[in-house]
Amino acid sequence: MFESLFEFLFKYRPLVFEEGDLTFRPTAVTYLAALAVVAAGVVTLRTYQRVRANSRPLDRAVLTGIRFTILALLLLCLFRPVLVLSRIVPQQNFLAVLVDDSRSMQIADREGQTRADFVTQQFGSAESSVLAALADRFALRLFSFSSSTDRIEAVGDLAYDGTQTHLGQALTRAHEELAGVPLSGLVVVSDGADNADDPLGDALLPLQAAGVPVFTVGLGREEYARDIQLSRVETPRSVLKGAALVVDVVVAQTGYRGQTVSLQVEDEGRIVADQEVTLPDDGEPTTVRVRFTAADAGPRLFSFRIAPEPDEMVTQNNVRHALIVVEDTREKILYFEGEPRWEVKFLRRAVEDDENLQLKVLQRTAEGKVMRLNVDDADDLLEFPRTREELFGYRALILGSIEASYFTPDQLRMIADFVSERGGGLLMLGGQRSYAEGGYAGTPVADVLPVVLDERDADGEGGFFRETDVRPTRAGETHPSTQIADTEEASAARWLELPPITLVNAISDVKPGATTLLTSGDESLVVLAFQRYGAGKSLAFPVQDSWMWQMHADIPVDDQTHEILWRRLLRWLVDGVPDQVVADMPKDRVELDETVRLNAEVDDASYEEINTSQVSAWITDPDDELIEVPLDWTADQDGEYAASFTPSKEGLYEVRIEATTDGELLGSDTAYFRVAPSDSEYYDSTMRAPLLERVAEETGGRFYTADTIGSLVDDIQTVGGGVTVIEERDLWDMPALLFLLFILVLGEWGYRRARGLA
Amino acid sequence: MMTVTMRPRWPALAVALLLAGGAAAAVGGRADTDPVSGPKRYDGRFVFARIRYADGYAGGRFAGRPDLFWAHDYPRAEQNLMRILEDLTLINPYLGRDGGAILKLDDPALFTYPFAYMSEPGYWRPSEAETVGLRNYLLKGGFLIFDDFRDDHWFNLEAQMRKVFPDLRWVELDATHPVYHSFFGIDSLEFDEPMYAPSIPIFYGLFEDNDPAGRLLSVANYNNDIGEYWEFDGTGWLSIDLTNEAYKLGVNYIMYALTH
Repeated sequence: MFESLFEFLFKYRPLVFEEGDLTFRPTAVTYLAALAVVAAGVVTLRTYQRVRANSRPLDRAVLTGIRFTILALLLLCLFRPVLVLSRIVPQQNFLAVLVDDSRSMQIADREGQTRADFVTQQFGSAESSVLAALADRFALRLFSFSSSTDRIEAVGDLAYDGTQTHLGQALTRAHEELAGVPLSGLVVVSDGADNADDPLGDALLPLQAAGVPVFTVGLGREEYARDIQLSRVETPRSVLKGAALVVDVVVAQTGYRGQTVSLQVEDEGRIVADQEVTLPDDGEPTTVRVRFTAADAGPRLFSFRIAPEPDEMVTQNNVRHALIVVEDTREKILYFEGEPRWEVKFLRRAVEDDENLQLKVLQRTAEGKVMRLNVDDADDLLEFPRTREELFGYRALILGSIEASYFTPDQLRMIADFVSERGGGLLMLGGQRSYAEGGYAGTPVADVLPVVLDERDADGEGGFFRETDVRPTRAGETHPSTQIADTEEASAARWLELPPITLVNAISDVKPGATTLLTSGDESLVVLAFQRYGAGKSLAFPVQDSWMWQMHADIPVDDQTHEILWRRLLRWLVDGVPDQVVADMPKDRVELDETVRLNAEVDDASYEEINTSQVSAWITDPDDELIEVPLDWTADQDGEYAASFTPSKEGLYEVRIEATTDGELLGSDTAYFRVAPSDSEYYDSTMRAPLLERVAEETGGRFYTADTIGSLVDDIQTVGGGVTVIEERDLWDMPALLFLLFILVLGEWGYRRARGLA
Repeated sequence: MMTVTMRPRWPALAVALLLAGGAAAAVGGRADTDPVSGPKRYDGRFVFARIRYADGYAGGRFAGRPDLFWAHDYPRAEQNLMRILEDLTLINPYLGRDGGAILKLDDPALFTYPFAYMSEPGYWRPSEAETVGLRNYLLKGGFLIFDDFRDDHWFNLEAQMRKVFPDLRWVELDATHPVYHSFFGIDSLEFDEPMYAPSIPIFYGLFEDNDPAGRLLSVANYNNDIGEYWEFDGTGWLSIDLTNEAYKLGVNYIMYALTH
């Protein structure tokens, strides 16, 4: 609208003024005419000075000003102002037209027409209006782009089935292909739904340097009228079998505000969760927390889905998939208890039915005497581990009421390293011999703990005692380790119902970076807190009798709160604890023929990185064929090995990475990835004008929509590079000047009428 | 294997009971509704819980007080056992003059003390509330010792426990069970108890789900009275060896209960 009005008044579009240089082209006649105008001016001035009649000085000043302005305008026109432009020479330059070939182009969000339909109309054949106009002026080179970029002969043949959009790669490819020829620019026809991992800026720099403008044509709507989208689902790569998962799903919508829909989670087709979601305001994403149990072992494809509404514009973005490896392993946990007390019995009972947790107990019963429970054999765990290799064989360590002085300084350092270097989980229980009361302040273990230990508290028994209820913090209401009921609300309420426990460790502060999950009823004392420390994590649970939540008279016999709490606490403690060999793959889903990077981190038994290990990936493809791919040390980082692999079949691949040193197996780890078409094209698939505008702006091009594409051809001729000629465009005949003259003459007449002047 | 035989010295025992009757007399005069003993408040320490029950009155007086079966050996038995725990182990026991808490099976406070002891179960006839209380106590994780009973008293225990757990059956224990190795290594259960002779002491266990490899809920010291040995420790009236064995059993029961 603005541009049309501008062009009507000033004869040319704003771009012409932006690109052109203003200059004047006077002739000899012009100077004679100018003299005449000046003479007219002098006559005018003298006339107004002489005439008195009934006019005031102000009247004469106004009328003199108007008359001089008219004369000045005439003078301006006589000097013949022109815009000097550099215009490309027809058929002397090349132009690349890049057409988005991805699936999102099939979305019908333009009055029932798909984005691809528009491309076909404008660029589909030699007769199409835009393509024909471009072909008249340029030597055209056509490209299609999605996950790859290809030269094409005609746009009309495109299938629009690409599963990704790599805009940067497309720009680079077209630019490189047309290097060495006079290139006027690149035209990108796309919805801008770029989902490449590479930063787009890298692709724009060479274009900026070469002065190649990119003209972007944005297709589709910037906002759907009615759509529900699962924008993001964050799941762990692997979990222990039976794990209660708490997964955040980000839901966005337009057009359904306040409506309640059902979010379902499927484990290989079996519904494992069904949660009602009240949809948020338009364009404002909300995070929905869903809970479900990973009941079956193996690589499992979980689907998160909101059933499509009847009139949704895009239904493919109502579902998200996540590959989660459900491990059926038995995680070893060492619980060292320094005094016989009820926690041992009840903690053992709480987790004894959990087949994925092996709680080995070393119970000190008297000075110099220990009881071993759940050990592997007669020689297992005769004392608290004295070597890193032995301690680091566990995934988690629970320290009960055991004084710091029981350990040697080396053992205390080893416990700290167990967390920071080995990546294990440490849990310290409350008791007369733990925390500051147990003399831990100032030890390496105190550094690991998430709570602040006050050295003044180390005054032995009989000091602090507090019976208290427990309440969850906001973080505790949602944290997976403290979910003791089926829903977040029920869990938070259940915490408030539990009978009181007792504390003998006065802990009121957590360290910066630590998170408090439970507090005393008056919120003055820490009951449960955690922090990440180095490669691992630590939990402080300074309660001496959590068994009350099992045994207390108010707890029903069949209540499972105590069991659920301990299983979740210990599962959280061992969750993500690495093995000596860790297979790490940046992606768990790739396209066919897309290269997969296989990474592995390899440590020895004391979790020191090894660079001299022989590492191989044994890849089982979907047809059960075994392929060996050796991994090499990357030399960038100690203990890091890498290789690449290109899958040629669709389906699930198993990657078992084995590391050996001197013929001895150090360890192995198994990861999975699947080869499947990406559905990422349907997410955030509205036209991303800001991205396309940025591409145009940073390269000196222009951004168009379906409605403004009419000026594309002319603009390229004006802005584009390549072989150009100088062209001058007259400005003296701009309608705006004529209108101004007319307004001034009319103004003078009106003023005279109003003032009653002759 | 240690087998000790000793004949009782009844006159000396009677004198001892008279002398030691002071504390017990206080209990003997207690009605069922009297407040319980034990620590003023639960503080995390190990507390010996003695179970008292109704109809436990023998109908006469002994040592100058009504003879309450459930109070036999109170309080010196638990006092001495707790001192042994304090001296030999790292258990932190309640060491009050009353030796522990005295609680009925339907008392909610009992659930604060997961180890309990009942004397003379031959006379125990629990109410419905007590039956439910004991069932809940044991299922949640409590552990109960039956002691000081003999001969046909067994049938009462069996009948009462059938009300508590209709499906559970008493299983005779041998010295290989972990309960007999939880602290001391007890290699033989041939406990030559002189007071109940010629009846032979037998140790029975009640297992969760009737699984002998599972959790032991309760132990019955049939034809035996280990509380008697705890009580008269240090008096010289009972065999030192047998007293030692009784302590070993007591400490092992407690250590097992704390860890299993």
